[in-house]
Amino acid sequence: MTDDLKLASAYNRFGLGARPGDLDHATDPHAVLARQLSGDVGANAFSGLPASTDYLHREAVALAAARQNKRMRDDPGMSPMQDDAAPTPARQRRAGRGELREAVRAELDARYRHAATTPDGFAERLVRFWSNHFAVSLDKRPALLYAAPMEREAIRPNVFGHFDALLQAVASHPAMLRYLDNTRSVGDDSRIARRLSGKRELGLNENLAREILELHTLGVDGGYTQTDVTELARAITGWSTPAPREAIDSVPSTAFVFRPNAHEGGARRVLGRMYADSGVLQGRAILRDLAVHPATARHVSNKLARHFVADDPPKVVVDRMAQAWTRSGGALVDVYRALIDSPEAWAPDARKFRTPDDFLVAALRAMDASQPIARLQPVLTQLGEPAFTPRSPAGFPDVTTAWSGGDALFKRIQAAQRLASLPVTPDPLATARIALGAHLDDATATTLRRAESARSGLALLFASPAFQWRT
Amino acid sequence: MDPSRRRFLAVAGASASLALWPRLPSFAGALRGNDDVRFIVVLLRGGLDALHALPPVDDPDYARLRRDLAVTDALKLGGGFGLHPSLAFASQLYASKQFLPVVAIAPPYRGRSHFEAQDNVESGGDASAHLQTGWLSRTSAAMAGAEALAVASVAPLSARGPGHVRTWSPPFADDVDPMMLQRLQGLYASDRDLAPSFADAMQRSGDMGSSGALRLPQAMQAAATFMRANDGPRVAFVEDTGWDSHGGQAYQLKRKLGELDAGLRAFHDAAQSIWPKTVVAIVTEFGRTAAANGTDGTDHGTGGVAFLAGGAVRGGRIAGDWPGLSPSALFEGRDLHATTDLRAVFKGVLADHMGLDRGAIDRQVFPDSVGARPMTGLIA
Repeated sequence: MTDDLKLASAYNRFGLGARPGDLDHATDPHAVLARQLSGDVGANAFSGLPASTDYLHREAVALAAARQNKRMRDDPGMSPMQDDAAPTPARQRRAGRGELREAVRAELDARYRHAATTPDGFAERLVRFWSNHFAVSLDKRPALLYAAPMEREAIRPNVFGHFDALLQAVASHPAMLRYLDNTRSVGDDSRIARRLSGKRELGLNENLAREILELHTLGVDGGYTQTDVTELARAITGWSTPAPREAIDSVPSTAFVFRPNAHEGGARRVLGRMYADSGVLQGRAILRDLAVHPATARHVSNKLARHFVADDPPKVVVDRMAQAWTRSGGALVDVYRALIDSPEAWAPDARKFRTPDDFLVAALRAMDASQPIARLQPVLTQLGEPAFTPRSPAGFPDVTTAWSGGDALFKRIQAAQRLASLPVTPDPLATARIALGAHLDDATATTLRRAESARSGLALLFASPAFQWRT
Repeated sequence: MDPSRRRFLAVAGASASLALWPRLPSFAGALRGNDDVRFIVVLLRGGLDALHALPPVDDPDYARLRRDLAVTDALKLGGGFGLHPSLAFASQLYASKQFLPVVAIAPPYRGRSHFEAQDNVESGGDASAHLQTGWLSRTSAAMAGAEALAVASVAPLSARGPGHVRTWSPPFADDVDPMMLQRLQGLYASDRDLAPSFADAMQRSGDMGSSGALRLPQAMQAAATFMRANDGPRVAFVEDTGWDSHGGQAYQLKRKLGELDAGLRAFHDAAQSIWPKTVVAIVTEFGRTAAANGTDGTDHGTGGVAFLAGGAVRGGRIAGDWPGLSPSALFEGRDLHATTDLRAVFKGVLADHMGLDRGAIDRQVFPDSVGARPMTGLIA
């Protein structure tokens, strides 16, 4: 494979797609990737957005307004104020909800604007890989406000650190704690459960513990049992977020709280190893061991290799990555290096089918367009991959057959037309050279040259088979 | 436009496109088995709680295990069971002997991972097989290529494999420039992976409808609309998500079971002529814990329930062996014990309703399933 082809692969297979000028200015494909393996990904791009602690406060205020409004509705003695301009609770509640919706929109806009414009496509792809690995869905209302902040607060700062730090940050973020119900999990033998026994049923919820073992670390064949799930669930009882009453008067100082009263005390045995009773540290210790477990190294390396190289990744690449994981105690940069240092990862015939999200971002990058995602979100929904909305904690699928059916392809052709109708109309052939680099084939080039208009040419480019692949 | 109207239009789009469903006269003559019957599988992803949908109201352990979560206003069916009140249409079907619950059922997989369990239901293999193709696709292949349909925006495992399974979901409202399709044709023809999908996409190029969200009732209505055509798909697959009720289960399932009931009604109303020849199988990947958890929900468990509906079903009774909920009867001390392999139900329908021969069912459609003997007496 010539360096020209490799260079295109550095931007497409490993990155989010090339932008104008990218391929002209770079010469060493490996160096393009290697230089991106440090730093805090997107720190500046997201600095203006509120922290999860801010959202917890805003949410508590909106909730209080909603409660007061309900009390007024239920009490006929309290009639709404007559003055149309007065801030009735109903109006406040609507305003509160509008504000929260607006916050989600602003988060998504920032995320896609960054993806469409960052020069560090490989680093950003890694961020998005981890977001999907630790999938959280906006579908679950209590997690709605926190999915995008989790990516900013837990994933971005840890993408080049140890997997342990990443796992710990995600598992104690409000998004994950709420999405997988841990905020409501109470140890059967905790102080709260004993005090309230017989009144309201409180108890253990295994959801987060199970997905940590099955999806986030060991993998479903990683050798854990139901008892391990239950034991881990007990160990992380009390891992929670500030309650509305704790967040209403001021912005809380932390988005994670450990509630000793809800925690089930006692030693726990997970995967044959005993963990002493040490409160919040007990769960932390278990996660630390899970993060460096050989099954985790293998499971996650395989997922990474599948994401970057091929649906069925070369075993030798996965082996090297898993070895780097084990040798370094889960230092992610070492794992990424093992990936990009593997000649097999650069194989000319390796390719990944673009998911709808990849497809959209790559098109925006090639056109040098950074549209607010609000306009494009419906496209992602129709294509089956709305942002932060996987249908399960397993995240969106990462193999060709899941996305390449006839119906899906037809919708993609429709979406290509929509992308081509954005208010930027660069020359189609020049855009194809940017997007595909040395992978642009003669047949595609000829087709684009014959297009009747710039718009129809762009639509053809985005609908073409060549553009559907990260080659 | 209000959302319900928008959804109506989405489905109206589906019926408008019926004339464009590709005709397959060459297959009609080649069909083995009964070629005028229909079979549709509805997969409820997330693990429907059988004990909530079909509460064993006379089982003394039920109230003990479920406490506040016990369904106390169930619609009585007899046989010790009741239906959740949100399943009113289903209970009407039951009264007219067109609805058949099969209790204590599960696929061969005994773990508690949704995704593994769903793959197992869709692949139709035994628990260790990890088949990469789906049994609906293999059913289509076994019926001499009779076309099948999956109503989903992303091809589910059940639809992957050697058979002809199309996926369908409401398209964008946008028209596609026919010239553009023509120009793309040559390019796609030389892409080994995408050429078949593109050919499929071309066939539906006139298949326009309004865009809209696809919830279960709309998906089932769309499926019925496609299936009732003379040369429409004989087998179909519809999926729904949102059944994972770890917390707040009573509220969540009230809404979801209401959607399921509306879906059944929508299918029934749209199916019309084919309803007497149809079996609808409503299944899920596993059940949930017998006891309620600490957050008014239930966690992943084993034994679940399957519901068969349709004019071809011998309903109005309860099928399957009920092991009970006493502490000694529970699986691993926490779940309803599964006494029937879910594949036995599918195999019973394929044999007695679809007319597939036993050899094809055992070897081709459900390999490694000899232990799961086709359940008999399901069909009227």
